[in-house]
Amino acid sequence: MNLIREIWQSIVRRDPLSTDKGKSELVFLNVWLHIHPAKVKKENLRFKYTFYLGFITFFLFVILLTTGIALMCYYRPFPPQAYQDMKDLEFVVYMGPFLRAMHRWAAHGMVVCVFLHMCRVFYTASYKKPRQFNWVVGVLLLLLTLGLSFTGYLLPWDQLAYWAITVGTNIGSYAPIIGGQVREILLGGHTVGEAALLRFYVLHVAILPSALILLTIVHFWRIRKDGGLSRPTWKLKPNQPEALVTIGAPAQVEPLRTVAASKDKTYGLMEVVTGKPIFETIEADEEEDAVFSYPYAFFREAIALMVTVTGIMAISLFFHAPLEQLANPAKTPNPAKAPWYFLGLQELVSHSALLGGVVAPALMVLALLAIPYFDRNPSRRPTDRKWAIWLFTIFVVVNLVLIVIGTFFRGPGWAFVPPWVHVVAGAE
Amino acid sequence: MNRRAFLGWGAAGFVALCSGVAVSLAAVVRYLVPSVFYEPPQSFKIGDPADFPFGPPTFLPDEKIFVFRDREKGFAVASAVCTHLGCTVAYFQSDQRFHCPCHGSVFGPNGTVQHGPAPRALNWFEITQARDGQLLVDKDKVVPPSYRLMV
Amino acid sequence: MGICSTVGPCCCGGGVMGRRLPQIFFALSTLALVLIVVAVWQASTPSWKDYQRRFFQLESQAEPNAVTKAAVLATPPQIHQILLPGLQRVDRCTTCHLGVDDPTMKNAPEPFRYHAGLGSHIPSKFGCTICHGGQGLATDVKGAHGSVPFWQDPLLAKGYIRASCGRCHKEGDVPGVPELTAGRRLFETEGCHGCHKLNGVGGSIGPDLTEEGASHRSPEWLEGHFLAPNVVSAGSAMPNFHFTKQQARELSYYMLSLTNADMGFFYSSLRLIPSPEYGRQLFEEKDCIVCHAIGGVGAKTGPDLLAVTKRHSPEWLDEQLVNPQLVYPGSSMPEYDLEANARKALVAFMSSATAEDAQSILAHRGNALTPADVAIEAGKRDFARFGCAGCHGTELQGGVPNPNAQGGQIPSLLHVSDDYTKGEIIEVIRNGRVPPLENPAGPTPPLYMPSWKKLMSDEDIHQIVDFLWSKQQKAKDSW
Repeated sequence: MNLIREIWQSIVRRDPLSTDKGKSELVFLNVWLHIHPAKVKKENLRFKYTFYLGFITFFLFVILLTTGIALMCYYRPFPPQAYQDMKDLEFVVYMGPFLRAMHRWAAHGMVVCVFLHMCRVFYTASYKKPRQFNWVVGVLLLLLTLGLSFTGYLLPWDQLAYWAITVGTNIGSYAPIIGGQVREILLGGHTVGEAALLRFYVLHVAILPSALILLTIVHFWRIRKDGGLSRPTWKLKPNQPEALVTIGAPAQVEPLRTVAASKDKTYGLMEVVTGKPIFETIEADEEEDAVFSYPYAFFREAIALMVTVTGIMAISLFFHAPLEQLANPAKTPNPAKAPWYFLGLQELVSHSALLGGVVAPALMVLALLAIPYFDRNPSRRPTDRKWAIWLFTIFVVVNLVLIVIGTFFRGPGWAFVPPWVHVVAGAE
Repeated sequence: MNRRAFLGWGAAGFVALCSGVAVSLAAVVRYLVPSVFYEPPQSFKIGDPADFPFGPPTFLPDEKIFVFRDREKGFAVASAVCTHLGCTVAYFQSDQRFHCPCHGSVFGPNGTVQHGPAPRALNWFEITQARDGQLLVDKDKVVPPSYRLMV
Repeated sequence: MGICSTVGPCCCGGGVMGRRLPQIFFALSTLALVLIVVAVWQASTPSWKDYQRRFFQLESQAEPNAVTKAAVLATPPQIHQILLPGLQRVDRCTTCHLGVDDPTMKNAPEPFRYHAGLGSHIPSKFGCTICHGGQGLATDVKGAHGSVPFWQDPLLAKGYIRASCGRCHKEGDVPGVPELTAGRRLFETEGCHGCHKLNGVGGSIGPDLTEEGASHRSPEWLEGHFLAPNVVSAGSAMPNFHFTKQQARELSYYMLSLTNADMGFFYSSLRLIPSPEYGRQLFEEKDCIVCHAIGGVGAKTGPDLLAVTKRHSPEWLDEQLVNPQLVYPGSSMPEYDLEANARKALVAFMSSATAEDAQSILAHRGNALTPADVAIEAGKRDFARFGCAGCHGTELQGGVPNPNAQGGQIPSLLHVSDDYTKGEIIEVIRNGRVPPLENPAGPTPPLYMPSWKKLMSDEDIHQIVDFLWSKQQKAKDSW
């Protein structure tokens, strides 16, 4: 018994969890948990503030990584075989349909959740000083997520994949000067073919995931270094000075009170060394607002994880990933549609190639990147930033409306056809 | 709710989670076991008995087997894969022995090692007659060299 | 709410501290466990395992003793597949159709019944889908039989399975499938090539038919379409050829046999035996009698072929068939692109051919031949071969509707000599022509005269014009 305890102790190396020291050590002695602070603010745990969208996005990515690696064992990125491998996954590989469905739905879910997460961060004005750069990292992560989803779209090599990628890459080729060349590099040719499949595969399983993992690390690190998750400061007790909660810049650092730095509290190595925190100031009042990460934050994160996993599993049990006929460059389905998240752009391209292919996407990305530096309004209170909220809401709604039109209201020949009208494809 | 109940539910949840993970891991292992093989099957038909001559064995290069047919004793099938490092051996009618080109192993008429580095005798495979009259070889079933099929 | 030093007070505090979190966590973990167990159960109980169990039960009934019975029943379930690298196919049909090569299963219920009468087409070399269609990769009944969305080649309907013989037997008569042979003939004689491309050859007014056999069309649809194109697919530019029901069936057979799937070396049908019978068939097919006579019966353009094998060696004749100009400079004999066995067969036929053979070949052709007819006959063949008849009709009557073209239909060719010189018509054939519009503001007519100069040689065009003019004469006579 003693031996077991000794082994256990050698692994965890912390005091019992019933003590505050134990709770703190659980976090900072554990390589997987120490990205958390030992204590978190209560407001940060509030579901209605973050909806845990960042966590859910991250967990979806974990699902995608694990299912994706499993799927790689049965996939060859060459045209006829790729499609046959999809059929094998469907018909002979044990749990193949389930894993493929999980990968597919998690991928769609991740695109949705990244976008919703961005909306949440915007509406709570969490991109403001000192978190400007983390917003930029977030926008890059959004682009990488779209890139991963888009490259993965081609891999089944069926008609759906082939024509979605043909249309999608053609939207990009409207960009002046570089558009055509970028498309050529991306496809390894002028049309989607063997070379394109191989390149998309390399992007999908190596380049983009590595980039996404690296940027995710930066994203998480910056959350800590920028002073933890933002809080709804405008909802805090009025007697609490705003400056105290939004600080983060070194200039605003105030010395730590001796009482707060007592022996029983743990603040990390750097504070012990310098005797004061580098970014976050701990005030006695605020101390009341903080709780230990264990168990409060961890239970919630575990629940977010379980909701994500069970949700994806439940959907995957009932809805399998689609697989159409083998890609046929000679037969264009009517209508040929890009992946749904690019249908807004395709809708614009159908009106004006310049607008949908160049102006809109460039403006969107640039505007998103510039938001934290362009928005000089220091207040985070919603009533103080009506203009920003209106503008962003219009941006979101226009995007959604265009995507909904492109997805549900476009029939053969890109004619406007409501989804409740059944159209028989053109007679031959 | 007291602390005990709080941790009790959490522990029960943790147990359920661990069981789920265990089932998933087992499923992943099963997922990795191939259900079909894209390689020549281990059990296959080689044709009608009348296709095979008496006397020197017939070598089937794709299946890597020698089919022996003897007027008195009947059919037998020997592996053509050297037990040393997997090269394909050749049968010499002159000395009625199998010679491996890679490291000079020599196997006797019944497959036993006579020279060279080969650790074991050549395998002999089961040969039966299927219901449609064709000869059926099963490489998964190794039989003693004395095994014969009379048709 | 105070500083939490223990868990207790906080978790009862409600609100942000989440009183019920552990319960929720427990519920979700349990749900996850249930879901993964359901997924595992689903994956472990595919329908084919039931079929295998039933088959082993059936098989064990025939076993004489308890030990072998038990051994059969204990056979582990597994997916069977026939790898066909030469066809780029994998057929898993035998996962359920387990008795297909087992004669003792002759009277077993489906799906276990023995497939009799396959001859050399043994399942382990040919698989199943090459003849039957269906989705060989699938392991569930619906998917395997292929009547599912996004699968182009479902099981061929009963009564049409033999259409697929034409997928490998791509040339000439297909023994035992007269419908297919007749369908091929009809396609040639009715000039379908004029509008439809097949393996890269033909017009582009109608759809390419190269892969028509894998287009998910049912035999009923095809037959209906041949009987009344406009009814089955509205707005079709295809004229009604007034086929009989039998002809529609024959053409449907041919359509179902069309696929551009590579059948590979092993599966391509090659005539392996250069028999005189095959030679005679080729002699008829290539219409040698149009230029050659045998024992004085036939045309006089080329030399009489009676006893030709006595005058020339087989090698010389073979060379002559490969490249007539090389052996016999100035020869007007065309190159026929015959493979080696076909040339040998022709030589074999010629060594024994007599005037009676020529007589019966001529009778088989249906009309006696005068030397004057030979050139016109060549033009007539070209007229059919290049598909002119598809629009202008086998009797040059025209009349195919062509909305908004002048006259509203394809013009008859029976009176061209009244309006055009031979030279003008040659130009029209060479360069093509868009018909003048009835209503200048209306739509472009669907049908037009394509340019033929890339497909037809000048000789072809002249022959066709000669044929046209011969018809003019007759038309005027009967006028």
